Amino acid sequence: MSESQTNLLQGTLDLLILKALALGELHGLGISRRIEQITRGTFQVKPGSLFPALHRMEEAGWLNSKWGESENNRRAKYYALTKTGKKQLGAEQQQWERIALAITTALQTT
Amino acid sequence: MNRTAAFFRNLFRKDRVEHELNDEVHAYLEAVTAEKIAAGLSPPEARRQALIEFGGAEQVKEEVRAVRAGALLEQLVQDLRFGLRMLRKNPGFTVVAVLTIALGIGANSAIFSIFDDVMLRPLKLPDSARLVDIYQTIHGNVSRNVRGGFNLLSYPEYLQYRDQSRVFESLAAYMPEIGGVLADGHDEIQGQLTTCNYFETLEVKPQLGRGFLPEECSIGKDAQVVVISDSLWRNRYKADPAILGKMIRLNRTELTIIGVAPAEFHGSSIVSASFWAPITMAPQLAKMAGWKGADYLNDENFSWVAIIGRLKNGISLPQARADLNVIAARIDQHTAGRSTDISAESATLFGRPDMRKVALSVGAVVLIAVGLILMIACANIANLMLARAAERSREIAVRLTMGASRGRIVRQLLTESLLIAFFGGVLGLIVSAWSEPALTKLVLARIPDHVVFYNVSSLPDLRVIAYALALTAITGIAFGLLPALQATRPDLDSNLKQEGTLWARSNTRGRMRGALLGTQVALCMVLLIAAGLLLRGLYHAQSVDPGFEMEHVATVNFLLEREGYTLQRAATFNHDLAERLRALGGVEAVVEAANAPLANSNEFSAFKVAGQTESRQMEMNYVGPGFFSMLNIPLVRGRDFSAAEVSGDARVVILTESTARRLVPGQDPLGKQLKNWRGDAFEIIGVAKDAQIADIGKASDLYLFFPAWPKRQLDVKSLLVRTSGPAINLVASIKAAATTLDPQMKIDVSPLHENITQWVAPARICVALASILGLLGLLLASIGIYGTSAYAVARRVREIGIRMALGAQAGDVKALILRQGMRPVVIGAFIGIALCAAVSRLFTLLLFGISPLDVVSFVSVASFLLGVAALASYIPARRAVRVDPMLALRHE
Repeated sequence: MSESQTNLLQGTLDLLILKALALGELHGLGISRRIEQITRGTFQVKPGSLFPALHRMEEAGWLNSKWGESENNRRAKYYALTKTGKKQLGAEQQQWERIALAITTALQTT
Repeated sequence: MNRTAAFFRNLFRKDRVEHELNDEVHAYLEAVTAEKIAAGLSPPEARRQALIEFGGAEQVKEEVRAVRAGALLEQLVQDLRFGLRMLRKNPGFTVVAVLTIALGIGANSAIFSIFDDVMLRPLKLPDSARLVDIYQTIHGNVSRNVRGGFNLLSYPEYLQYRDQSRVFESLAAYMPEIGGVLADGHDEIQGQLTTCNYFETLEVKPQLGRGFLPEECSIGKDAQVVVISDSLWRNRYKADPAILGKMIRLNRTELTIIGVAPAEFHGSSIVSASFWAPITMAPQLAKMAGWKGADYLNDENFSWVAIIGRLKNGISLPQARADLNVIAARIDQHTAGRSTDISAESATLFGRPDMRKVALSVGAVVLIAVGLILMIACANIANLMLARAAERSREIAVRLTMGASRGRIVRQLLTESLLIAFFGGVLGLIVSAWSEPALTKLVLARIPDHVVFYNVSSLPDLRVIAYALALTAITGIAFGLLPALQATRPDLDSNLKQEGTLWARSNTRGRMRGALLGTQVALCMVLLIAAGLLLRGLYHAQSVDPGFEMEHVATVNFLLEREGYTLQRAATFNHDLAERLRALGGVEAVVEAANAPLANSNEFSAFKVAGQTESRQMEMNYVGPGFFSMLNIPLVRGRDFSAAEVSGDARVVILTESTARRLVPGQDPLGKQLKNWRGDAFEIIGVAKDAQIADIGKASDLYLFFPAWPKRQLDVKSLLVRTSGPAINLVASIKAAATTLDPQMKIDVSPLHENITQWVAPARICVALASILGLLGLLLASIGIYGTSAYAVARRVREIGIRMALGAQAGDVKALILRQGMRPVVIGAFIGIALCAAVSRLFTLLLFGISPLDVVSFVSVASFLLGVAALASYIPARRAVRVDPMLALRHE
């Protein structure tokens, strides 16, 4: 992951994790792969960023976690959105769209 | 789960949380591995790749720990635990550092708590937040009589505020201090004259009897009643339970005791009161010299009462001020050109704005002085910390390389210094609680006896504790931050190798140590020179020739006016007393004087030379014939008063040499005339040599002597007695002779030179404080210098060994070490000298004529300090050259 990606990630990691979990619960590696997939490989979240983010968001009440069986019968910790988490996703998404729109507009201004 | 729940879970179920984190990390790793195997890698290779991709399980866990709720608290606990362990490992360092801080903080909070007691603490009375001190400052060309301070009010003014103000529950006035001579004439006690709502306003309930009734304060009714203090009741009346209704005779007025104040109540001003009488008794009780004609209760322009009020519930100070200002403006309208500023502040023992200003500035200077001590202490410990940081640089470098952030390490080092500061601070509060009574005693011992001050309570209140805590925090950061930042400077490489290259001279750490040392020396220099100057001034004041002789002269002092004497009785008394004293063995001469030399009582009036237009305020004294010869003041021109001139109301005057020079420069003053404001002319018959009659340390400026005419007999406050032997031997017999004349009169007899004591009291307090502080500073600074020098030598054992092996002489090496050690000291010394020269003008008043740039003080103190510093760095240097070169080379 290049330097520029890291910087981008710090602002958007929460949003991406929330988005990745919007479709259903996932374990850590699953979240990482889902983000890779939905961003078409632009973002690869490493455990060093993922784990602190997950724990922080769980403590903030956006995520739930429980231990379960993975697809190949291994124990894994699954994360899911809580009600607050869904609200948070909506809020962050709106915010992001506003910023993105503003920046796009700004860049297109000649 | 919310953050609070998480916080408690993390705090109390740490094991489970950690366990789960561990499981999660491993599950992730295994999932990645499984993914790789599925992609076709061999299991060992898949595991390896997974580990690479994961990037350090411990780091990941550490990152999670750092964002968890309560992470800061957890780190703090870790830091504290680690800090305590480090302090325990270095008991020597810890003890020295803690004691140093304790001394610094102790001295500071002791001084602050005295300051707090007098200046800041509200009166210890019920609901004292609502009590307000009210004073006024009058601007404009208004002539007023003043007794006790320009900020006081007149009684009619008080009545207007009382009747018109709507913000006070009650408003009381009082005369802050009045001397009361008890019946037998031997004791004088201090008291207050108060309005009859005084005790209700302050919500003070007498422990026996009652306070005043409203009708006891109606003018013209002479309610001869008094409330006495608990200590007067206990000491004088042995706590007589049947005290009420007994009579007490104060200033020759019979008063009935109607109450005893509670034990903890000493009145509302700094001088502790022993009695309270209705303010309407002022004409009888306050017959003081100079105010015989004063109309206490009706004169609008006679300032003599202070006001204290209790605000109604819910009224703020600004509201009160607004209300009072409206009334003040109304009063101003009566007098053209008058404008009044009202000050209304929370009531303290020391409310009067003029006195408060002086006390605040004195307090600030003293607080700064003790602040300097704390700074020296901080610099000392910072130096120790720097040395220790050098020893620990490897440990710190290892931690930095292992990935600890610089902030984290700085935080941990700061925790250590704050721990030291905390222990020092707690110990310091104990030191202060112990030393405050000692300090108070030290100050009180230097104040003349007749000024009775409060016993300052020694229990530190919240304000003092907060002050000490704030100092502690500042201290801890002050001495910890610099070394911590220094120690974590990111040059890992050199630190991991050998600490300090062989020939290292002045690396930054060395420079910083030098700067700290220089600061210490500079601060110490300021304190010591200040002490030296004050000491010289004091010595000067006590040894300088004041221009008159004090040996073999006693003064007999009395206040006839207060004793209720008439002019006729006063003349008889003065005459009879003089006759009796002359009859005593060992008495050579007796002379009357309105004001004895240096008695600190002055009288001024305006005079002009006949024929000139300018009239000037001049100080006056009334003396009998023989005054000048008794005090050995030569008359440079003309002659002394004759007995006939004194008894015959002759209009003659003697002036001092410098007065003559200023009034009629270049002319012979004899035969010229001085006119007073009424136009009466007085012929100049003599010129006396200048003497420091009114002020010590400087010859009095315009000063006139008039005969002690018969009409001035009530103003005579002293008889000067010339004795053949030491004056002190005759004190008892003089007193006995005076007492037989009027057994009820209060008469003080003392050798004349004791008059100097009251002048030098403030200087003596300052000398005592400055010397203690200066020596404390010197002790701290010498420890610092010694420590730095010893450390430098220890670090350079190898270098010294090589030098010696190559043939350097012991003297050369010693000189080298000394030179390097002394360089910051000398620089600091010069800065200190410059600083002190810049500020020493502040206490010119306490130097009694010594220049604030007095060369003797500056040179001798500076050499003394430099000598001590040289010694402190010489001892380690001497040890250095005893090093055996072979041993030194094998040292590392």
